[in-house]
Amino acid sequence: MRGRPEYESVVAPQPEVSRLAGHLFRHETGKLVSVLTGIFGINRLQLAEDVVQEALVRALQTWPYHGIPQKPAAWLMQTAKNLALDTVRREKRFHDKQTEIEASLENWSADGADRDSPMFEDEIKDRHLRLMFACCHPLIPQDAQTALALKTLCGFSASEIANAFLTTEVAIAKRLTRARQRIQEQNIPFEIPSGEVLSARLDGVLQILYLLFNEGYKASSGENLVRKDLCHEAIRLVMSLAGHPATDQPRTHALLALMLLDGARLAARADAEGNILRLEEQDRSIWDRSMIERGIFHLGQSAAGDVLSEYHLQAGIAACHCMAPNYSSTDWPRILAHYDLWMTMNDSPVVALNRAVAVANVDGPAAGIQAVKAIPNREQLDSYYLFHAVLGEFEMQLNHFSAAVGYFQKALELTGLKSEQKFLAKRLRDCGSRGR
Amino acid sequence: MNEKDDLSTAPTTSEHLLLFRGTDWYRDLSPDEIQTTMSQWYAWFDRLVKEGKVKAGQPLTNEGKIVSGKKGQTVADGPFTESKEAIGGYFLLRVSSFEEALAIAQQCPALEHGISVEVRPVASVCGPGKVAGHHVVEAVT
Repeated sequence: MRGRPEYESVVAPQPEVSRLAGHLFRHETGKLVSVLTGIFGINRLQLAEDVVQEALVRALQTWPYHGIPQKPAAWLMQTAKNLALDTVRREKRFHDKQTEIEASLENWSADGADRDSPMFEDEIKDRHLRLMFACCHPLIPQDAQTALALKTLCGFSASEIANAFLTTEVAIAKRLTRARQRIQEQNIPFEIPSGEVLSARLDGVLQILYLLFNEGYKASSGENLVRKDLCHEAIRLVMSLAGHPATDQPRTHALLALMLLDGARLAARADAEGNILRLEEQDRSIWDRSMIERGIFHLGQSAAGDVLSEYHLQAGIAACHCMAPNYSSTDWPRILAHYDLWMTMNDSPVVALNRAVAVANVDGPAAGIQAVKAIPNREQLDSYYLFHAVLGEFEMQLNHFSAAVGYFQKALELTGLKSEQKFLAKRLRDCGSRGR
Repeated sequence: MNEKDDLSTAPTTSEHLLLFRGTDWYRDLSPDEIQTTMSQWYAWFDRLVKEGKVKAGQPLTNEGKIVSGKKGQTVADGPFTESKEAIGGYFLLRVSSFEEALAIAQQCPALEHGISVEVRPVASVCGPGKVAGHHVVEAVT
């Protein structure tokens, strides 16, 4: 006999685990912050973020016991709305605007009841875009723009951003604070620019997303998963730009094509141990065919109009790689033609360095070295590990092994990334064994 | 927590309470981490339910009061929000031994984020439990 009544089990029958989509919380965060920012005002961005975080925490407190709701996204939105109402009623600073804000929150609920209504989805997309333009406003320092975009649009935490940018959480927190201060001080608007301003502002947004993508792409070799996420988040954001009438521009599609065509090859860039593989060593069968198809589609979309952007050329280069069944059938002359054109738009020595690789593939390594030597402002590349690594490759192809060793060693000194260090160490060993 | 020796000499009851302490551990998690932890926790709980090991399990809200004083005249706000000590939820397990309950507690997916799990055998008044019985007597006198 027991000392207390044997009550019925209070555990309710559990619904089948409804699998949550991969990054549902991360993506809903971006949407919810956008919607709430529209209600609270952009100068209360932090408040919107806090309310959304609280809604996620509520989910974490209850779902593990009661199961995942049928419509998790709707649950989060309803909870965020309720919390927002509480906040508005509690905080004095909203008193003069309380009625207005309450009305707009109530209105939201009416729409929210029918979340499939296209009006509501459009409104969310619209606000998401406004937030994107606010985060990528030219009055915010660029490094703070990228951090803020990741925080508010993609729901990354400060530590995840720090991880992605190989810096400290403190540094990222400072950037975020600076960004939010700028928004307040400069009265940065929560709107999609129109008219003549739109074009320049869209360029700014595209550039930030391009930076995000590259940051993830240049070193996502398996040792750091967050960096791979950066690429996917950047793709997602450009997709929402491409899907909105105001920003559905040829260069938006060009950037999207470039990201998809590069992103499709991400998984093949390293072997199972995380070692970097050169293009000729990559297993092309694991390139993501559906991403390539989507990339080619958007490359086609980008051809509308008469504007040729740098994104177009880069997407064109990526497409040449993606379409080649193997390394030896790569259309290098075509790639070189793209680089030649790109050089007329961008005098960056990094572009010229990449062009030199194309030159070497068309006319041989000696021509490649000549092309490197002809790079204007070459000294700017001196601290760039790839500059030395590329020269090392050329010298190696010419069987100048001692020269190659010198370049690879210099490159090795310049990189802090383990995967790159391992790669260069391997090239050094190759030089040693072949030079003997 | 009692010494393991005490427990192994005393007959263990078949019911154990897991108390999840900490209502501040999730504050700095990212949406991705929240989702992962939540899914893992649900999968964990769901598995235990299916194995018939859970008699009850619920979260607690952060609201609440603490009543004290000889006549219950003192009613204070509890420090339940953002606290390392406050209880955020519980499982009432029906398992074969204390060790099994302990092993289950060690599987809690929020441990890595700083939650702590208290494992307490439920005392059985009519049972012959020495340790448990002793505690009950102490509590009533």
